[in-house]
Amino acid sequence: MKIIELNRVSKSYGSNTAKVLSDISMEINRGERIVILGPSGCGKTTILRLIAGFIAPDSGSISIGGHLAAAGKRIFLPPEKRNIGMVFQDLALWPHLTVRGNIEFPLKSGGVPKKKRSEKIEEILELVGMKGLGGRKPGELSGGQRQRVALARALAPEPAVLLMDEPLSGLDVELNTRIRKEILRLHEKLGFTLLYVTHDREEAFSIATRIVVISKGGINRDKNPGLPETETGQQERN
Amino acid sequence: MKKLLYFFVIVSILAAGTFLIRYSKTKTGRKRTEQTVVVYVSEDQVFSEPVLKDFEKETGIQVKAVYDTEEAKSTGTMNRLIAEKNNPQADVYWANEPIRAEVLKQKGISAPYFSPNAKGIPSMFRDKDGFWTGFSARARVFIVNRKNVKSGEMPKSITAYTDSRWKGKAVIANPLFGTTTSEIAALYTVWGEEKAYGFMMGLKVNDVAVSTSNGESADFVAAGRYFFSLVDSDDAVNRIRQGKDVVMVYPDQKAGEIGCFIVPNAAVLIKGAPHPETARKLIDYLLSRETERKLAFADCAQIPLHPGVEQPPELKPINKIRVMQVNYAEVAKKMVEIQPFLKGWAEVL
Amino acid sequence: MRKRIFLTSVVILLMIAGLLPVLFMLAKSVTADGCLTLAAYKGVLTSRRQWVLMGHSMALASLVTVLTLVAGVPLGILFGKTDFPFRRLFVFLFVIPLLISPYIIAVSWSDLFGGGFLAGVLGPHFTTVATRLLFGLPGCVLVLFSTFLPIPMVLTMVFLKSVNPRLEEAGRLVSGWRGVLKNITIPLILPGILLSAMLVFLLSFGEFGVPNFLRYNVFPVESFTQFSAFYNFKAATAAAAPLAVLTLVVLAAEFYLLRGRGTEIPSFSDSSIPLPINFGKYRKILFFSVALAVFLLVIMPLAVLLIQSAGFDSYAEAFRKGGDSLLRSLLYAVFGATLLTIFGFFTGYLIRTRALRFWRSVDFVTIFLFALPGTVLGIGLVTLWNRPLTNFIYATPLIIILGYLARYTALTSRISAAYLGQIPGSMEEAARIAGAGWFRRMALIVAPLAKNGLFAGWIAGYVFSLRDTAVTMLVYPAGHDTLPVRIFTLMANGSPRLIAALCIIMVAVTIIPAGILWMVSNPVQEKETI
Repeated sequence: MKIIELNRVSKSYGSNTAKVLSDISMEINRGERIVILGPSGCGKTTILRLIAGFIAPDSGSISIGGHLAAAGKRIFLPPEKRNIGMVFQDLALWPHLTVRGNIEFPLKSGGVPKKKRSEKIEEILELVGMKGLGGRKPGELSGGQRQRVALARALAPEPAVLLMDEPLSGLDVELNTRIRKEILRLHEKLGFTLLYVTHDREEAFSIATRIVVISKGGINRDKNPGLPETETGQQERN
Repeated sequence: MKKLLYFFVIVSILAAGTFLIRYSKTKTGRKRTEQTVVVYVSEDQVFSEPVLKDFEKETGIQVKAVYDTEEAKSTGTMNRLIAEKNNPQADVYWANEPIRAEVLKQKGISAPYFSPNAKGIPSMFRDKDGFWTGFSARARVFIVNRKNVKSGEMPKSITAYTDSRWKGKAVIANPLFGTTTSEIAALYTVWGEEKAYGFMMGLKVNDVAVSTSNGESADFVAAGRYFFSLVDSDDAVNRIRQGKDVVMVYPDQKAGEIGCFIVPNAAVLIKGAPHPETARKLIDYLLSRETERKLAFADCAQIPLHPGVEQPPELKPINKIRVMQVNYAEVAKKMVEIQPFLKGWAEVL
Repeated sequence: MRKRIFLTSVVILLMIAGLLPVLFMLAKSVTADGCLTLAAYKGVLTSRRQWVLMGHSMALASLVTVLTLVAGVPLGILFGKTDFPFRRLFVFLFVIPLLISPYIIAVSWSDLFGGGFLAGVLGPHFTTVATRLLFGLPGCVLVLFSTFLPIPMVLTMVFLKSVNPRLEEAGRLVSGWRGVLKNITIPLILPGILLSAMLVFLLSFGEFGVPNFLRYNVFPVESFTQFSAFYNFKAATAAAAPLAVLTLVVLAAEFYLLRGRGTEIPSFSDSSIPLPINFGKYRKILFFSVALAVFLLVIMPLAVLLIQSAGFDSYAEAFRKGGDSLLRSLLYAVFGATLLTIFGFFTGYLIRTRALRFWRSVDFVTIFLFALPGTVLGIGLVTLWNRPLTNFIYATPLIIILGYLARYTALTSRISAAYLGQIPGSMEEAARIAGAGWFRRMALIVAPLAKNGLFAGWIAGYVFSLRDTAVTMLVYPAGHDTLPVRIFTLMANGSPRLIAALCIIMVAVTIIPAGILWMVSNPVQEKETI
């Protein structure tokens, strides 16, 4: 079942007429772990930002969960209505809030009652192995702990899709591997759809059930990690 | 970072340009002369600057001035003169009233100078020791709104302020500042302690409003908000020339009355002046009949003190005015004495 | 080591410029004939009136602060964060009153209400009521509000730029823009908001010209009276001394409100995308209310000046009478701003990194000097520097620059500190490991990274140097007056036409260089990450 569908989406920025994305089409099925692999500057992040709703496409349409989220000038669903979680490259933890506060804000905004909220927070903290650290501020945490808080914050409202934008790029090899395993474990347990962006092949192959390779402006190959060099040929670059 | 560099390059070019302009100006526009005179001025810049410019033109001596303003309640020149006592920067102080000149004398900041041009100025307007010499005076007059007051009922004496007929209809500038303070101190010396105190209390009883300056009082009367006020004659003449429906009344002019308080400008030589030669020249210039004539025809309409100087028709010549006979040194002393009382008086809200 | 020596010398220079003259005044105020005495203080502090005046000033400063924050922060968000139509024009207009002396704005308001035009349109009853309101607390609040409104507005815009946009996007995923503003953005820029609150509070507390003109007795009146009626420097200093306590209280309040904030994790990203705020049907209403506010607070008083100054003659006369002062003003302000930026950068660095143990006292002293009546500082500068040996400073414009430095370093120091907070310490550490000495690190790494802060500081230093009258009036060497000083001295019996024209020129010359810098530094860059 398709949960996200991009249909001939193009995007360029400001006066720069060169398109960052041109006529991209892509489908993501529920429960999949898709990795978008490509060099930096190729438009990977733009795809995530389009799906999250931080920007609107110049042309084409985007559907999320079967509903049109962006099409033309008229239809645009704001980010908070798209039921999407995201882990940013720099994590973007709110420095003025505690770990608990960071996780609570999405729940509170989603209208979860107070009692339910604290239950949920404890539950998710335990799930990511951060039990007892809820009172800390992000500045007082180690790199790995921050990764976990970012995951917990994104997953707490139970989003249908989790977007991750090179979340592990700053970590050492050992931590990188540990967090990857963690992500897989959480995926197993919670069953969300994962859309993961990276430029690292190894990372991509260890996480993905399907890999989309992208280079300047368009999709090159859409492949199954088990068959690394075979083109599936569904979406060709125009 | 490049932009930052560009910006500072542009700014330095501008700064250098400014310097060049200024430099070239001093080279060509003015004679490069070492002769300068530094003058601190508390007479309004609008009136004093033209006189100083003329002095520059006629003598070639460059005038560097620091101006002050009572209107905006700045605390400029007097405080600077006092603070600079140990290393004076100023040569001459052009005071807009003699009380300040007296204060400087008492604080040992001024030096004596008897200018040849002082001859002819009534001795009452000169310090006997030569520490200041008066010229071009203002009179303390009533400005009266003609719409509110019929010509037969004009206030004729300063005691009109305490006359219940005018209850709540008169305004006076804050007696803590400027010429108003001087006049009240003068009243203390003329009337004696008791009567003057009674007058001050009478102002309160009679609901006399207090404005921040004489200029403001004049505006209030011109606008009809109050019927009359005691102001400096230049304030009154100014409003008349602006076409406001007001008249100027010299108070207490009948025989046996105290007369009208006169406030001359005062030229003061500063002790230890860096340029004593040019300082004396400037003082001579200020005390000249020509300067008095100019100040009479300027918008400040000041009354010449030399006898027989040409003056505009709105002004009464000094010898036609019944002048309040005071000793300015005594007035200054009295002022210091009564200031704490005046402060208390002004502060009771 | 070099760093400590250098920072210490910067601090010492600042102390010489600012603190020493004030200490000089304080020392004088507690001695009489060589003996220690507190007589001057007893007189001032035990008077009941002083406490009443303190209450008046508190009321005035608090009202102005609250109102400017309530209006200024949302305006800053509106202009800094959204695609509000004509936002640059609006910013430009709102800033204008800050560039004119509030005294002149007050006069212009009273001309407007007292003049025949409004009476003709709205009836004489209206003008009577309006005049009555204007003369008193409401009028003071109105004038100071319109003058200081740009401070929280601009600081909000500046601090918004320093917020990592990812933090807001992370919020946007789960909440509408209202929730994000309330819970994420505003808490993040709280230090900036508090800074602007502090500046507005101290500026309104120290303002004397406007309350004096509008008949509202305030605390600085005592210090002023002691100077201008009694020439009593001791009592004047004593009357100003409680401001040190006030500064302490204000700083303590700031410290309390910012306590326990997590250490920020500085993060660099050059994209600053406006939060897509969708006003929907309110867009028009909002636009018209902002336009109305600009009209009432800025255009109307400005129009009075423009109408008064109408005609080529006024401007020709203004240039003739004020041209040289204008050039000097620009020159001094440019030098002043540049020095203020440099000093502020280092004190800001000191405050941010706490490199010397006494960093907190440096912060206190700069802010105290900012709060102190300019007259006390000015007289202090005169008594300290007017000696034959230091004539090269006192008898030249250097003394004016010194005055600027003493009075306004708080501005550039705090602005730099805020920007330096955005730079990860690792940047400097990396350069250190690479073998760069402290000066190289400062010049090549830290300063370029903080360049927007330097720009913002420069603009603030420029504006405040240019509009200064209190200190300049007391220290300018004969024949070297600045334009605002000349405007003041020409005001007594000067023609309103001329004064109005000079004010308009003053606005133009302040805004043009600041505007160019604003464009060059391009603070509203809208780049996106790809």
